[in-house]
Amino acid sequence: MDFLGYILISSGVVFFLGTTIGLLRFPDFYTRMHAAGKGDTLSTVMILIGCICLNPAQEDGSGLLLALKILLIINFIFIGSPTATHAMMDAGNKAGATPWRKDSK
Amino acid sequence: MPPLPIWQFDVLLLILVVLFAVVALSIRNLMGAAVVFGAYSFMMCLIWAGMGAVDVAFTEAAVGAGVSTVFVVSTLYNTSATMRSRPGGLAFKLFIGLVVTIAGAFLLSALPDFPKWGASDSPVNAKVAPYYILNTIADSHVPNVVTSVLADYRGFDTLLETTVVFIACIAIYSILRVDKAKLETGEPAAAPVPRYDPGDSLIVRQASRFMVPFMQLFALYVIAHGHYSPGGGFQGGVILGASLILLAISFDLKSLLRQWSEKTLMLLVAAGVFLYAAVGLACMFMGGDYLDYVFLDSILPGEKDMARSHGILLVEIGVGITVMFSMIAIHINLASNGRFDRGL
Repeated sequence: MDFLGYILISSGVVFFLGTTIGLLRFPDFYTRMHAAGKGDTLSTVMILIGCICLNPAQEDGSGLLLALKILLIINFIFIGSPTATHAMMDAGNKAGATPWRKDSK
Repeated sequence: MPPLPIWQFDVLLLILVVLFAVVALSIRNLMGAAVVFGAYSFMMCLIWAGMGAVDVAFTEAAVGAGVSTVFVVSTLYNTSATMRSRPGGLAFKLFIGLVVTIAGAFLLSALPDFPKWGASDSPVNAKVAPYYILNTIADSHVPNVVTSVLADYRGFDTLLETTVVFIACIAIYSILRVDKAKLETGEPAAAPVPRYDPGDSLIVRQASRFMVPFMQLFALYVIAHGHYSPGGGFQGGVILGASLILLAISFDLKSLLRQWSEKTLMLLVAAGVFLYAAVGLACMFMGGDYLDYVFLDSILPGEKDMARSHGILLVEIGVGITVMFSMIAIHINLASNGRFDRGL
């Protein structure tokens, strides 16, 4: 279980790195938000599940409440983060951000 | 297991805090400055948490990084997001620099007089803090010493803090609120520039509709469970206020004002402080000192120590009500430019 937790947390960190690189390197607003929204959500959820694996619920019930609280946080991030990304994309569209094309520049 | 590199982490956070402060001051786009300021608050929150002041970190996260960013954004919505006027010339800047340097030198010169951070022989740690830590369970059944100090041992301070929130709300209200009748006879208000309205989006509306009940339940938990875990009236009140502000942003201001009219809001802002002060007065009527909850044991259930615990709960509820409705009233004032009709 510990091993699984370490794997999840390290791959979450790797995805965070990808998110950051994407945020810095992608050519326009939409692709950047795409990197931020997807990568951020996935890596946060992976790290949090890794935290549950490192403190698994025991048979006597200890750790169960912690796992439940982390699951609630995951639930919130899963709903909140894509919604925020959507709102920003929508705002960018209405503000007139033009999508990047292969032939532009 | 080697000790965690906690002070290196602190140094990193402090460097980031200074960096964010400089960036927030130097950035020309005020919306960007607001975001950087939120990041600054979040770093401060991490520093508080690292120092073990979890309650303060909680407040910083809720107020500093959360609601005040919304306040700044809703102010920018009604003004302008770019800085136009440049402050003064070189002589003015030099003068400001001189004043700041002298003031900073004075403050730094007082630094050696302070006891070392966490020193066990400092007056606070030698006398007051051990008393609180040793007696909080016997006195009031409250394991979270922060809550018992905040609402019981130093209840006067918290009463005045709540009054400060109340006064801030009243001040913003009296400065910004525009009389509708006067507005109609006077010059017509400038038509607001059409901007992005999250209320257009079905996704945002449904997501916030799903999240708000959980936020409110969590806020009630924070207020009621503040005796045992980090939290209390301030944090819970801010989260409650934020949940309604989220509704106001994702739907529109009108639907919030249909539920909570202007009069109700302002009455409730005052009611919270009133509840706190009334608990204090009740203690006096029962024969004790102001805010001495022990004397409430004949009207509250339980023994003398539980009376103090329940007294703390009562004043925390008062704090929560005032903070919650202050946040909402301030947001409505800022977002609708004092018109209480529509806005961000």
